[in-house]
Amino acid sequence: MKAKYSSPQQFFRQRRMRLTVVLVILLLIYFGSVLLVNFNTFSSLAQIPAGLVWLFKTFIPNQHTTTYLGPIFYQLWRTLIVSISSTICAALLSLIFAVLGAKTTSPNRVLQLTVRFGASLLRNIPVVAWAMILLFSFKQSDFTGFLALFFMTLGYLTRAFTETIEDLDTEKLHALQAVGANYFQCVFCGVLPEAASTMTSWVLYMIENNIRDATLVGILTGTGIGFLFNQYFKSIRYDAAGLIVLLIAALVIVLELTSTQIRRAIA
Amino acid sequence: MLKVNQLDKTYGQDKHSLKSVSFTAQPGEVTAIIGPSGAGKTTILRSVNQLIRDDGGQILLDDQDIRQANKAELRKIRHHIGMIFQNYNLISPLTALENVLHGRLGAKSTLAGMFGLYSTAEKTEALALLTEVGLKDYAYQRCDQLSGGQQQRVGIARALMQHPKMILCDEPIASLDPKSTKIVMDILRQLAREKQLIILINLHQIDIAMDYADHIVGINDGAIVFEGPTEQVNEAVLQKIYRQSADAKVKVAANES
Repeated sequence: MKAKYSSPQQFFRQRRMRLTVVLVILLLIYFGSVLLVNFNTFSSLAQIPAGLVWLFKTFIPNQHTTTYLGPIFYQLWRTLIVSISSTICAALLSLIFAVLGAKTTSPNRVLQLTVRFGASLLRNIPVVAWAMILLFSFKQSDFTGFLALFFMTLGYLTRAFTETIEDLDTEKLHALQAVGANYFQCVFCGVLPEAASTMTSWVLYMIENNIRDATLVGILTGTGIGFLFNQYFKSIRYDAAGLIVLLIAALVIVLELTSTQIRRAIA
Repeated sequence: MLKVNQLDKTYGQDKHSLKSVSFTAQPGEVTAIIGPSGAGKTTILRSVNQLIRDDGGQILLDDQDIRQANKAELRKIRHHIGMIFQNYNLISPLTALENVLHGRLGAKSTLAGMFGLYSTAEKTEALALLTEVGLKDYAYQRCDQLSGGQQQRVGIARALMQHPKMILCDEPIASLDPKSTKIVMDILRQLAREKQLIILINLHQIDIAMDYADHIVGINDGAIVFEGPTEQVNEAVLQKIYRQSADAKVKVAANES
């Protein structure tokens, strides 16, 4: 764009004006939608403190809650295992798909498009929908949860790995070709070592992400920590449900810290 | 001996192309291709090992035409042509030693190459080559922890691991400081002399070309405008090579000073 400004003052005046216009438009959209849904900003805001107080009173675990720790830890453990195993299985398959689907390493254009389309399809079906669809074929079991997480992770990681491979410097692959390396040697000796650390980061991120999603999936498939949460919640044992929420958060934080350490160790 | 005959290349619509390029490069000599940016230096160099597919002509290395080779033959020919690059193009998370061993990939079976199964003899040779280029102490360092000059020397060791007849050097010193430049160029000249290799270098530093090359190929806009021994390069020749190019005057001026 080659706009002509007579002076710097005029340039900044125009820029300020554009900003003002954008702000006005945003405000109009807000008030428009508030009118549409009959949402009252101020009375809603006023309700927040009372709501929070109720939340804390009922969901804070008390002394009695500790009796639930046994089953909670057992289900938390199962959920962790399902999340990790589904992520790792999906990662191995994604690796193959990504090599076939990345522009720089794809042996064939049809294959490349198929992989990309397939991955985007898997990725864009929400994990909840996956769980509900699979529920019909595989009933309420850990395996259904595993599959739901697996398919979504497969879509995500294939996409992430594909982009990781495409971001690599193709010149490095040319260097291996120049040595006389064939396709498989280029992939194994060049692409994979170069992409390994980024890919590991993605896998660790997906494990964290899948723990969170596993909770939701569990509610639907009747397994794992999600099922337990749902059960306690519906039987008004809010303190136990609250404990589960706290423990899931703690688990995810511990995983995050661990994966930061792992990432640092392999970088 | 490398003999390039009437090489042609067009990129889509009349972008940088080669127009019937012919020249020779002798074993034991350093041959430098010089010319303005975008004249086609890289295209020529990369046609020689067919990283870039040209449109027509002949590339004879010891009377074998690389352009006629099928996939398996091409792999075998490439195995004996080393190549080093401006950006070194090492696999950076791997150690110097592993990168040197990659020089054997062209000679190994697919599986042995994929999983890095190298013999003791190969590992010993790789270490010896690293010692030869002065990097014995860095053999187990990741390549991204090495300096530019050191990485380029790993690149040279990788090329030597191929037992090459010829080493192609694509702007090998463009990213190096003067001290590393001297080390790398000294090694390349020494290789030409002692191992009777064909050393073919793309350069845009005329002074380096004049100091190190035995034979100069001058190219302008995809066509050879000069080929001959370095002694024959004079002001008139340089004017011809760098004529009508934006950086010509700067280059010539730099050379005079």
